[in-house]
Amino acid sequence: MTIMNISNYLACPECDLLLRQVIFQKGETAHCPRCQYLLRCPKNESILHTFVLSLTGLFLLVPANILPIMSIKVLGNTQAGTLWGGVITLFNEGMWGVAIVVFLASMLFPILSILLSLIISAHLYFNHYNPLLSLSLRVLNHIEEWAMLEVYLIGIIVASVKLSSMSELKFGLGLNAFVLLLIVSIMLSSHFDSALFWQKIDQLKSKKRPLTDHND
Amino acid sequence: MIKKTALSQGIIRCHDCGQLAPIYDEFIACSRCGKQLHARLPQSSQRTLALLLSSYALYIPANVFPIMTYTRFGVGEPHNIIGGIISLIHGDMLPIALLVLVASILVPLMKLLGLSLLLLCVHYRWQVKAQHWTKTYRIIAFVGRWSMLDIFMISILVSVVNLGGVAQVIAGTASTAFAAVVVLTMFAAKSFDPRLIWDVQA
Repeated sequence: MTIMNISNYLACPECDLLLRQVIFQKGETAHCPRCQYLLRCPKNESILHTFVLSLTGLFLLVPANILPIMSIKVLGNTQAGTLWGGVITLFNEGMWGVAIVVFLASMLFPILSILLSLIISAHLYFNHYNPLLSLSLRVLNHIEEWAMLEVYLIGIIVASVKLSSMSELKFGLGLNAFVLLLIVSIMLSSHFDSALFWQKIDQLKSKKRPLTDHND
Repeated sequence: MIKKTALSQGIIRCHDCGQLAPIYDEFIACSRCGKQLHARLPQSSQRTLALLLSSYALYIPANVFPIMTYTRFGVGEPHNIIGGIISLIHGDMLPIALLVLVASILVPLMKLLGLSLLLLCVHYRWQVKAQHWTKTYRIIAFVGRWSMLDIFMISILVSVVNLGGVAQVIAGTASTAFAAVVVLTMFAAKSFDPRLIWDVQA
């Protein structure tokens, strides 16, 4: 095998086809020629947009999780339901397994992914290197799949359809915050360009190196 | 154009950050992100099979046992998943009934069967159109999370309908089993390495 510079190549993660690395223009997308996997999809100002969107999401986190999503009225009794309330009630009913899954998928992972996006994009935007950046980005890539706000919204819709036939139903302020948070996190994932983030971390790392060990 | 895989050229790809490395770096940490490098996901078939078998086992209680009970003035009977769908149909809410049917019965079943086929394909080295099978894998990995719909619906229902003796929704045994099926099949899909489909093609 001839010695080649592997930084000029990339491999498809789903079929392992070896491809020549090319410079992508914004707005272009690259699909694997063999399995059609979406290899790269560079975004405009990905780092800045991620920073701004995750900052927006940060303000929506608390209202979405604490304020009532909806409330019912049965014989003069009203009862409001929140994301957190569902977790607590499930836990108190002895369904701790379900409670943990719901807590992770609808609260902890969405919160963590917004916080991590904010921290990483802030570092990259202001050109600050931190040795924990690559670990944070790895964690972010892994938990993204487990944050399921959009599925929760469909769950809310099905629940409200079921309830509407049984009692008087009112939607609360929490639902607005929740839908906004969902929109922000969908925009966040569509503006997030993980390949660019890795490149930027690499750049910051190599800039940092001459400062730390200048004996080389 | 001869299409070569990275592995055949002695190159492996980091699972987490995508950086390429020479094959002799296998099992050491990726120079960019620190993740241990592997040519393919380690023990991919074995892990997927183990998770898949557990999901099959849990799929039965998830569908047989009651998933929730709605009581009004202390009266009410438990529903299993199918019972919930039937009551939606009786309530003239066919679209929602279809949605629940797809998300909580068809999707988990298709996932289980699809992943089993993928495993069989890799194990018996079936010569197939790998593009189609990769696409199947992609669909399985994508739709998995939508089965959580039923669990989230129960979570919001128990929180709203919590008026003691007047009206109450109580989650049933099947909800734990069902949540476990969804989580385990998601892990199974994640631990399956689609590159294996391409590796076994002649």
